[in-house]
Amino acid sequence: MAFALLRRHATAAASVVIASGAVTALATLWLLLETPAVDSKIWPWLTLGQTELGFGVLLDARARLMGAVVGVITLCVQVYSTGYMAHDPGRGRFFALLALFEWAMLGFAYSPNLLQAFIFWELVGLASFFLIGFWYQRPEAIAAAKKAFIMTRIGDVAMLVGLVLLFTLAHTLDIRESLAAVAETARQFPRSHALIEVIAALLFVGIIGKSAQFPLHTWLPDAMAGPTPVSALLHSATMVAAGVFLFARFEELFLLAPITRNVALALTAFTALFAALLAAVQDDIKRVWAYSSISQLGTMLAGLAAAGLSAGLFHLTTHAAFKALLFLSAGALIHHHGTQDLRALGQAGARRDRLTMLGILVGGAALAGIPGFAGFASKEAVLTVVHGVPGRAAALGFALLVAGAGVTAYYVGRVVFLLLRPPNPALAHADDAGHAPHAHAEHHPPTFWMLAAILTLSALTLALVFAGPSIAALIGQPLPELALSHAIPGLSAVVIGLALATFDFGRRSAGASLLERIGPLHRALKAGFYLDAIYEKVVVGAALAVARALHVIEARVLDAAGDLTGRFTLGMGEGTSRGQSGQLQRYIGVAAVLLAMVALWLGFAR
Amino acid sequence: MTPLTAFTLLAAALFAMGLYAVLARRNLIAMLIGIELMLNAASLNALAFGRYGALVDVDPALAAVSGQLLALFIIGLAAAEAAIALAIILAVHRHRQSVDVDALDTLQG
Amino acid sequence: MSVVTLVLMALCLLGALVAVSVRDIVHAIFGLATALLALAGLFTTLGSPFVGAMEVLIYVGGISVAMIFAVMLSPQAGKGLRETPARRFGAAVIAALFFAGTGLALLNDTPVADSPEAPGVFAPAALGHALLGDWLIAFEVLSLVLLLAIIGAVLIAVREAPARDPAAPQNSQAATGEKVAP
Repeated sequence: MAFALLRRHATAAASVVIASGAVTALATLWLLLETPAVDSKIWPWLTLGQTELGFGVLLDARARLMGAVVGVITLCVQVYSTGYMAHDPGRGRFFALLALFEWAMLGFAYSPNLLQAFIFWELVGLASFFLIGFWYQRPEAIAAAKKAFIMTRIGDVAMLVGLVLLFTLAHTLDIRESLAAVAETARQFPRSHALIEVIAALLFVGIIGKSAQFPLHTWLPDAMAGPTPVSALLHSATMVAAGVFLFARFEELFLLAPITRNVALALTAFTALFAALLAAVQDDIKRVWAYSSISQLGTMLAGLAAAGLSAGLFHLTTHAAFKALLFLSAGALIHHHGTQDLRALGQAGARRDRLTMLGILVGGAALAGIPGFAGFASKEAVLTVVHGVPGRAAALGFALLVAGAGVTAYYVGRVVFLLLRPPNPALAHADDAGHAPHAHAEHHPPTFWMLAAILTLSALTLALVFAGPSIAALIGQPLPELALSHAIPGLSAVVIGLALATFDFGRRSAGASLLERIGPLHRALKAGFYLDAIYEKVVVGAALAVARALHVIEARVLDAAGDLTGRFTLGMGEGTSRGQSGQLQRYIGVAAVLLAMVALWLGFAR
Repeated sequence: MTPLTAFTLLAAALFAMGLYAVLARRNLIAMLIGIELMLNAASLNALAFGRYGALVDVDPALAAVSGQLLALFIIGLAAAEAAIALAIILAVHRHRQSVDVDALDTLQG
Repeated sequence: MSVVTLVLMALCLLGALVAVSVRDIVHAIFGLATALLALAGLFTTLGSPFVGAMEVLIYVGGISVAMIFAVMLSPQAGKGLRETPARRFGAAVIAALFFAGTGLALLNDTPVADSPEAPGVFAPAALGHALLGDWLIAFEVLSLVLLLAIIGAVLIAVREAPARDPAAPQNSQAATGEKVAP
């Protein structure tokens, strides 16, 4: 785990970071494949009462899986960044921050106790803050970074309260011991379920913030203001995955909290559909993938909430690979053509970047859940798990997830068709007017290393379809059997979605798309269901009102008290100041008198 | 009176005299002389205890060596301290044409 | 205790008394040198000739000489400043009380008052091995401290030298010009 902060020598920084990234990737993979002899090691840090605080590593199956995902994906992104950031003056800082990000995420994944987990959890948030706001000259990047930080902080506060409650319940900071203690408490005292529900709910609020679930999801699309490799990292293996991993880490706790689980299941499944719908109308390719991330995270969390630990983590792994692939490919297109607008990219001849388009196709197929690709296996695993859960919440969640899968297929088809649409000279100028300018003033074809990263991730995405059983074996919970009857709803949704996309965008003469024909819905979706506006009005308005009320109180009451305190302190200070002669030897004299008194006490009193 | 008591008493006397100089003398260099006396009292203590070792649990050779080492480190640190102190005294003298500590009352409240 | 030890102790006390009491600073420095020389002798009788030698080299040969240089460089520093009797008396009382307390504690209650003399052989080689072995880090840190002290001392002493004055180059040019002109 390396952290090198070299600003001046960007190339040196990049090499150092990539070298350490490679070492980290190899180390994490080795940890994944070789079962380590010790599964946790803790170096004591300080002891408070009966509580030992330590820093260490917990090498259980979940942590090792997560660590390997982080290590490999980060390495790909770092290699890719050598090309993408080659012309940026701040690339030394960029690589240092990437290393910080990876270090924080690995520290979180391997952390054996609650405190360390929380510290690294916040470090992940901090690193993403820096990276989203990497182009600090641009106001929207700063705004997005602040938004990301504050929105996730909302969740973090709830999570911290949850962790503290968990500690008071379990009297230990060790994650596994605390989980065992909670299970023991739940077995002995049935009434403690309410407390466990509260803890689980608070932790889940933290997850909502970090993993950008409804209703705290609005920061993630804005986080696109950061460089594309950052988005790739943020959306696949690190930041948002931290929330999912937290759920997986506390899976046993959530299993003891059925109400929270059902709410989480319904909410995340709703997010999956909701975000997929939003993704279907975005024109900015990065925003499409951003909303798609939110949707896929919802799917993962739904799987975890349905007690499908293996299924959820399997989907996390495959999603990490194909979403990083999609972002890196999109980044290559943006890098080459200097625009993020889907139609403009298509017009600019995206179809001629064959290797990049291959990446988009492979990743898109995985995302859409086309059979034979990684996303299909993991998504179907999640769906089957959710289907197997009794109760209305799960049934609702299942329906929402299936619908979400259909919409996902639709927007993937939309992106692919729009990008593949042959350039039409007549349209080129009309479309150019609409899209936002991108930071890359110059256009560069993707470099060898960018393509290498894309191809590696493509291969990884293809290979991961077979990883399901081994992940299940690692976690120790078998994946559900893929019964045809369960796969039919999901599959048919995918087919319908793809067919609609073909109908809407696959034809040369395609007019308005299906969603565009339903005017109000389309406008609402474009505006992200007005959530940002609502937050602006309600939350900020309320905060302002409170602030005004507080201002009045402050002016009338507190200031008066403050002035009084100030005058009192001032008087005290003047009094004390007169005692300060500034004479060195008087000061020494006071010390010496005290010294002499100690000596006399030693001589007489003992 | 055992040798150890004699040596430690001598050290206490040296320290007390140094303390007197630091408290009473107005000349900065005279104060520095007092400080040096106090430091030497500490070295003497270290050597005396190393020689008539109370360090019963420790390897005797190590005990003797550690007393001498402590004294050596004190001497080294005293050299550094004296260098800095004399430089400060020179600077003060250049500033105020005086080494009277009573005149240095910039800190007066 | 041998006679030599007792004589050295008395010499040491006498030198220290001179060092802290006489008004003339140069005399006080000589008193300090005498006390420290006697102390070096005591170190030797304590079985540490190496430390004694270092004491002579660094204190008598180094610090005392540096003090005399400081006196020579700053004319005001050599002048004894007259202290009021009340001031001397107050300081003496504090110091005496301190000595009384420590002395009583030493006479009554020293837990090691009767511990035997350590028979060790105080070879400088053992000292060297210890310095570059177990105490290596402390040794190196001390050398760093000394280096920094030297640099700091030079900086403090040189800071307001005329050469650093912004106006200085012009003055020197003017001076040379005047010299060249005739």
